Amino acid sequence: MKPPDKIIPIEPAPSAPEEIALYEIRRKIYPRAVTGLFANWRWALVFATQIVFYGLPWLSWNDRQAVLLEIAVRKFYIFGLVLWPQDVIYLTALLIIAAYTLFLFTAVAGRLWCGYACPQTVYTEIFLWVERKIEGERIARMRLDQAPFSVRKLAVKSFKHAAWLAIAVWTGYTFVGYFTPIGDLGLRAVTWDLGPWETFWVVFYSLATYGNAGFMREQVCKYMCPYARFQSAMFDRDTLIIAYDTERGEPRGPRSRKADRNEAGLGHCVDCKICVQVCPTGIDIRQGLQYECIGCAACIDGCDQVMGRMGYPKGLIRYASENALEQHLDASAMWARMLRPRTLIYTGLLLAIIVATAASLYMRNPLKVDIIRDRGAIAREAAPGVIENVYRLQIMNTDEKARQFAISATGLRGLKVVGVTDPVVVGAAGTLLLPFRLQVAADADDGDDGDDKKADDGHERKRHDDRRPKSGSHKIQIVVQALDDPAIVRHEHSSFLFPR
Amino acid sequence: MESTDNLAHRIMWILWPAFLAAGAGEAIFFTVFDPFDLHFFGAPLDLSRQAIYTMGFFGFWGLGIASSALTVFLERSPWERNRCPLDAAARPEGCPKREGGGCGAQEPTQRR
Repeated sequence: MKPPDKIIPIEPAPSAPEEIALYEIRRKIYPRAVTGLFANWRWALVFATQIVFYGLPWLSWNDRQAVLLEIAVRKFYIFGLVLWPQDVIYLTALLIIAAYTLFLFTAVAGRLWCGYACPQTVYTEIFLWVERKIEGERIARMRLDQAPFSVRKLAVKSFKHAAWLAIAVWTGYTFVGYFTPIGDLGLRAVTWDLGPWETFWVVFYSLATYGNAGFMREQVCKYMCPYARFQSAMFDRDTLIIAYDTERGEPRGPRSRKADRNEAGLGHCVDCKICVQVCPTGIDIRQGLQYECIGCAACIDGCDQVMGRMGYPKGLIRYASENALEQHLDASAMWARMLRPRTLIYTGLLLAIIVATAASLYMRNPLKVDIIRDRGAIAREAAPGVIENVYRLQIMNTDEKARQFAISATGLRGLKVVGVTDPVVVGAAGTLLLPFRLQVAADADDGDDGDDKKADDGHERKRHDDRRPKSGSHKIQIVVQALDDPAIVRHEHSSFLFPR
Repeated sequence: MESTDNLAHRIMWILWPAFLAAGAGEAIFFTVFDPFDLHFFGAPLDLSRQAIYTMGFFGFWGLGIASSALTVFLERSPWERNRCPLDAAARPEGCPKREGGGCGAQEPTQRR
C-alpha cells in the first residue's frame, strides 16, 4: 500500500523587510600592496609610459622641440615630420591603429590596456605608491582615516596632498609643454609670466590628474569608461581572462597549513580574501569575471604568494580562457587557440592599416597648393586684345627646408603668368600667399590639355588655326614645380574667364 | 543592483561623455577651421588662437553637458517621477524622497 502523499502546506511567508540599496554607496577602497610578476610588469609599464610622457617634450630635433603640437601656429612637429591641418588623415589613421591595437589585445588577453598601461591605472599606481610611502600600508591607512583629528593626521594628510599636487602640477606642465615649447613655458612659469590660457590649462590638467588619480580612481573605470562596457564585444571563449579556477578552489575554507585538505574535504582556496584586498576595484574575482575587473592581475600575484606559502601549486587565479578552464587545456593548447579567425583578422587589418599609413607618409608630397579665385574679380582686358584674370595662390611647403618653385599655367595657348618673381621662394615649413595674374590673347585657342609638358615648355604649335574670340569659362591648370626635385609638383585645376 | 539615483553617478554621466564629445568636437572643428578665419557677428575675433581654442572647448563641453543632462533627466523611471502615495515619513528605507533625504540626496541611508 502506498502511503498517502504527504501534503506539505505551502504558505506565503511575509517577505522579510528586504533592504533595497537604492544607492551604491562608495566604500573607499584601500588596496593592499602587492608584489609579484604582474605587479612588476605594471611597474615596468608605468616607467615606460611615464619616461616617454615626461621626457618626450624635452627632446630636440632640427633645433626645435622634437614633438610639439604647436596649435598656436597650427603645425604639429613630430621628429622629422611637420603635419598641417590638411594632414588630419594621419591623425585619423593613428586613431584607427590605436583602436585596432586595443581590439587585438582585448581579443587575446582581455583588458591588458586597463591593467597595465591606461593613464588612469598608471597615475593611480603612482599616487597609491605615494600614499603608501606617506600613510603606510592598508591597515595603517584605514586606521588613519578612522582616527579623530590630530596634528599628526593633519601633517600626514597635508604632506600626502602636497606630494600629489606636486606630481599633478608637473604632469599638467608637461601636458601643456606638448602644445607650446616646454623650455620657454618653464622659463615663463618661473618668472611668473605665463599667459592666461597656458596657466588655465596647466591648472586644469593638474587638477584633473589630482582628482582622477587621488580620489576618483576605480570609479573612473566603473562608471565613466566606455571601453569597460564594450570590451566584452571583443571577448570570446578563447580570450585570456583573469579567472579563478573554481573546480580547484572549491569548497573554499580556512585550514591549518599542516592539515590534510583532502581529509577536510577542502579545495585549494583558503578563503584568505587577499584577492579581494588587493583588488583596486574592490571585487571578488571568485565570483567570476565581472565588468569591474580591469585585468590588473593583482589578485593573481596575491593568490600565488598564498599558494606558495601553503605549498599548493600556483595559478588558482590565473590568466586562462573559458575554454581552457572547462576543457582542462594545458598552456600550449590554450595558446594555440590564440591563432583563431578573430585575432588573425584583427592582426591582418592592423598590419594593412599600418603599412598603408607608413607608405602614404613616406610618399607624402611636401608641397600643397590652393588656388583661390577672387570672388569679385572678373575678367578684364589688360591691354588691347589681352585678357587678364586675377588669382591668389597659397603655397605650403611642409618640409623643413626652404624651396624654390616655378609657377606656370596650361590649358590655353599662350597663357602667361604675370606679376610673380621667378622663382618663388617658400621658407621652411612655411606658407606663401601669392597674388598673381594670368594673361592670354583674347583669341587664344585651347592648348593641349592632354600634353602639359609641351605646353609648359611654351612650344607654339600650329595644329589648327582656330582664331575666333573666346567667351565664358575655360578650364586651366596651374602648375607649381619645385626646382630641386622634379617629383615635387602640383597641378591645380582652376578656370579662366573671358568677358562675354 | 546599482541605481541611477546616486547624484555623484549622475554628475559623472553628465560631465564625462560631454567631455569626450567636446574633445572630439574641438579636434574636428579646429582642424577644419582656423580660429583666425572665424567671425563673431561679422567682426573678426580679436583674440589669440589659444583663447579661441579654449573657449571653443568649453562651448562644446557646455553643449554636451546640456545634452547629457537632458538624457539623464528623461531617463528617470516612473517611480522617481510619479507622486508617491505614501507620506514622506512612511516611505521605505532607501527611498530618495523619504523624510530626511532629499531627491538624489548624498546622505546614504544606512545599509544593514
